[in-house]
Amino acid sequence: MSRLAIGAALAVLALALAFAARPAPETAAGRVDRVSSELRCPVCQGLSVRDSPSETARDMRDLVALRVTEGKSDDAIRDEFRAAYGDWVVLRPPLLSPAGLVWLAPLLLVAGGAFLALRLARATAPPPPGPPNAAALAALRERVARDEEADA
Amino acid sequence: MTWLDLGAGALRAALPLALWGALAAAYAAWKRDGRALGSARWAVTGAFALVALADLAMVGALVTHDFSIRYVALNNARATPLFYSVISLWAALEGSILLWTVVLAGAAGWVAWRGTRALPRLAATALAILCGMLAFFLLLVTTPAADPFVATFPVPADGRGPNPLLQNNPLMALHPPLLYLGYVLFSVPFAYALASLILGEGGDRWLTATRRFAVVSWALLGVGIVAGSWWSYAVLGWGGYWAWDPVENAALMPWLTATAYLHSVMVEEKRRLLRLWNLALVIATFALTILGTFLTRSGIVNSVHAFSQSAIGPLLLGYLVALLVLGVGLLLWRAPQLADAGAIGAPLSREAVFLFQNVLFVAATFTVLLGTLYPIIAEAISGAQLSIGAPYFDRVEVPLALALLFLMGVGPQLPWHGASRATLERQFTFPLLAAAAGAAGAVLAGLTGVAPALTWALGAFVSATVLQEFARGIRARRALHGERAPAALASLLRRNGRRYGGYVVHLGIVIVALGVATSQAGTRETERTLAPGEHLSVGGHDVELVALRDVAEPQRRSVVADLRVSEKGGRPADAHPALVSYPNAQQPIGSPGILARPGEDVYTILAAYDQRGKAWATIRVRVIPLVSWLWLGGLVVGLGALVAALPPPRPRRPALPAAVGAGVVR
Amino acid sequence: MTRWRWLAAAAVVALVLVLALGFRRDPRDVRSGTVGRPAPAFELARLDGGGTLAFRDLAGQAVVVNFFASWCRPCKEEHPVLLRAWERYRTSGVVIVGILYQDDEAAGLDFMRRLGGTWPTVRDEGGRTALAYGVFGIPETFFIGTDGIIAGRHVGPLDDAVLTAAIEAIRPKAPR
Repeated sequence: MSRLAIGAALAVLALALAFAARPAPETAAGRVDRVSSELRCPVCQGLSVRDSPSETARDMRDLVALRVTEGKSDDAIRDEFRAAYGDWVVLRPPLLSPAGLVWLAPLLLVAGGAFLALRLARATAPPPPGPPNAAALAALRERVARDEEADA
Repeated sequence: MTWLDLGAGALRAALPLALWGALAAAYAAWKRDGRALGSARWAVTGAFALVALADLAMVGALVTHDFSIRYVALNNARATPLFYSVISLWAALEGSILLWTVVLAGAAGWVAWRGTRALPRLAATALAILCGMLAFFLLLVTTPAADPFVATFPVPADGRGPNPLLQNNPLMALHPPLLYLGYVLFSVPFAYALASLILGEGGDRWLTATRRFAVVSWALLGVGIVAGSWWSYAVLGWGGYWAWDPVENAALMPWLTATAYLHSVMVEEKRRLLRLWNLALVIATFALTILGTFLTRSGIVNSVHAFSQSAIGPLLLGYLVALLVLGVGLLLWRAPQLADAGAIGAPLSREAVFLFQNVLFVAATFTVLLGTLYPIIAEAISGAQLSIGAPYFDRVEVPLALALLFLMGVGPQLPWHGASRATLERQFTFPLLAAAAGAAGAVLAGLTGVAPALTWALGAFVSATVLQEFARGIRARRALHGERAPAALASLLRRNGRRYGGYVVHLGIVIVALGVATSQAGTRETERTLAPGEHLSVGGHDVELVALRDVAEPQRRSVVADLRVSEKGGRPADAHPALVSYPNAQQPIGSPGILARPGEDVYTILAAYDQRGKAWATIRVRVIPLVSWLWLGGLVVGLGALVAALPPPRPRRPALPAAVGAGVVR
Repeated sequence: MTRWRWLAAAAVVALVLVLALGFRRDPRDVRSGTVGRPAPAFELARLDGGGTLAFRDLAGQAVVVNFFASWCRPCKEEHPVLLRAWERYRTSGVVIVGILYQDDEAAGLDFMRRLGGTWPTVRDEGGRTALAYGVFGIPETFFIGTDGIIAGRHVGPLDDAVLTAAIEAIRPKAPR
């Protein structure tokens, strides 16, 4: 019964997610928003051209909108701004560049970390040692005494 | 005696006391000398009193508009209202370091008097370290690096006034102190961790001694970050609450590692494992708090918070390096002794989930660090200037956050030492059904995108697991003690605050996550230039520009747009976005008009207006769904942490029947 | 175990190096991409109402393009510097063009009338020219040689030394 419920739940979940993932056609306005969100406003503190309410950002959005209606590609629009402001104006580091390293790092970290964690989680404890010999016992006693003193 | 004499004198008198406290506490720990400890205690108390006096002197100077002090002349004006004069204490670099110092002194005082009672030797060592740190900060505030008590000559007739952004909203009173408290209070677990490494023993006891500090520090940091987001949203007026600004990231990073720490500490307490890892986490968290301060104050990154470039940068960097070297050095030295005696032994157990969660938190922290520092690295190496902003951070952090949400639901449901298949089925049937319902609900409500749907699925998943836990706990109490449901709930929260408070925190996180996901995916906005009387419509709302008018106040002038916002069939409400001009600012600062409703916020911005005749205004309106869930969630997290941090009530002596009691010999 | 120790130590050193290196830069110094490239052409309305001024009308001269606005305090401060340079170089094949940025016509005209200056001033309606030049914030000045290439750029108010040096670098050399 429980298995059936779990199965049904997973099926519904998968369906819902698949439906949510369907590609929606992008409107011109949506495209302007998207390209603007990847451009940096020159007169603001790191805000994107889409988010910034400043006049410069509005001018930039108008320019992006104009280029979109002219049919220019995303890269062409970005290049136009990069010609004027340098790479600084693009907020997302391109994948195929030295900066593309920042995309790789989190992947490596998660993969490597998960691997190490799994190994650690699977590891079983070493077999318990036999009764301690006299020397080990004495060392243990001394350590306990030191520990107790630490609390004094 | 002037405020300047009082403040400067108090700080300079406190420095030798802090140094003495460090030496005396170190000696006390080394030779187990009670008198030296007593001496250290009084030194620290004296230092705290003096620093508090200095803080009060600065507040006094601000309130009385004493412009002979440069800090007051730059951050205060005759027209500044009393409330804002007081909170100008932390408006700029020097004052905020002064605030930091007094909190640090207070923490050292706590360790000196309360901490040493529980674990004398460990606490004394920790105290020595804290006094050393205090001495460093006192050095900062008594040298040109960050000295707030510097005279200015000639004395100006009126001050420059606080930064306009800091005068717009009384919430400015909350955000910095919360963050500073969070940062500084983490010094205590750090000092204890170092002490434990130095002494080479103390086992896991330092964990219990500092647990409350860690939880409180974490909670204050978290709430402080949410408060900062709220301020960014309500005051900065760009319509968002998080911009991955370097200083925002600087506060987020230690919070992420602190969260990891709070969980992996449970593994150490339960199974005595991960000792080395926990120590590393504490050191990393503390280092990140100093890094955060460094990034904010040094001028190394361009940010809303970068007040000015001062000599404090190299000093903070030196401090950071010294503490890192010390911490990592001690850790590496003691590493062999800290090796785990046992092992986890089960990939499907609570310990394992905590381990995976730690991996994700560390990955998240490192990514934020990389993204924040990469532009600096790139420029230093090749001179290239590039930007890393929201598109990068969002793309990387969202999947990590979703994975963490998932683990947040799974972890508490798995028992320690491993789970059987039957356990899994029993525990996860209801949550999985809830997840399916959550995803379906999101999709049916029209939310587009995988991330929001997944967030709702996972949010429902976690909420279901929390509900299950509470239900189980209440049922158990009813069976054992006959308590009715509400009383049982109260008992759970009081007696087992750590566990159930933690669940409340999880719920708070879920609320925040849902708020973030829905507001990011469901915002609708439009921007149009209107003449008075004209309308625009967005997201089911109709917005009319009623009027555009001038408002003059003693410390500022504004141009306000009166907007009437009406929903279909609902009552109209008014919003008043404005552009505010301050005398010391070149360009006006936007002040948004926000209509907060439970389901969504209507966020209005006056972007531009006709300066000649007020014949038109450019209005930007955003309809942001569920953004208030962020603030609500933050509140719930704070409350949950409070429940978790409070000590459980002392167990009452059970009342024995008279006959038995008479025969018992006590 | 020793390997991990070295790794940890190396990571810490790397972090410190990064932060220390970062000190060499001023985060406000962001270089523009247009220096060294052909100056973007423009055709903008004159403030004084005499039609439009196109960049190609200035061919053969060295051009100092100065972006300004009436609400900009540093622009007021640098104005006397521009006046002096104008008096000195106007007959040497150097022309200053003032481009009014994010301001309205009347305010711009008033600014020029009050503070003086007879060089041509135009209005950048819609901010396109500023965007094409890569203006970060005013006052910002671009120095264009007779070949039409942007030779240099200065963000912030000018002083006599900087302006003179920049103009000397772009002015047409006298034929021998």
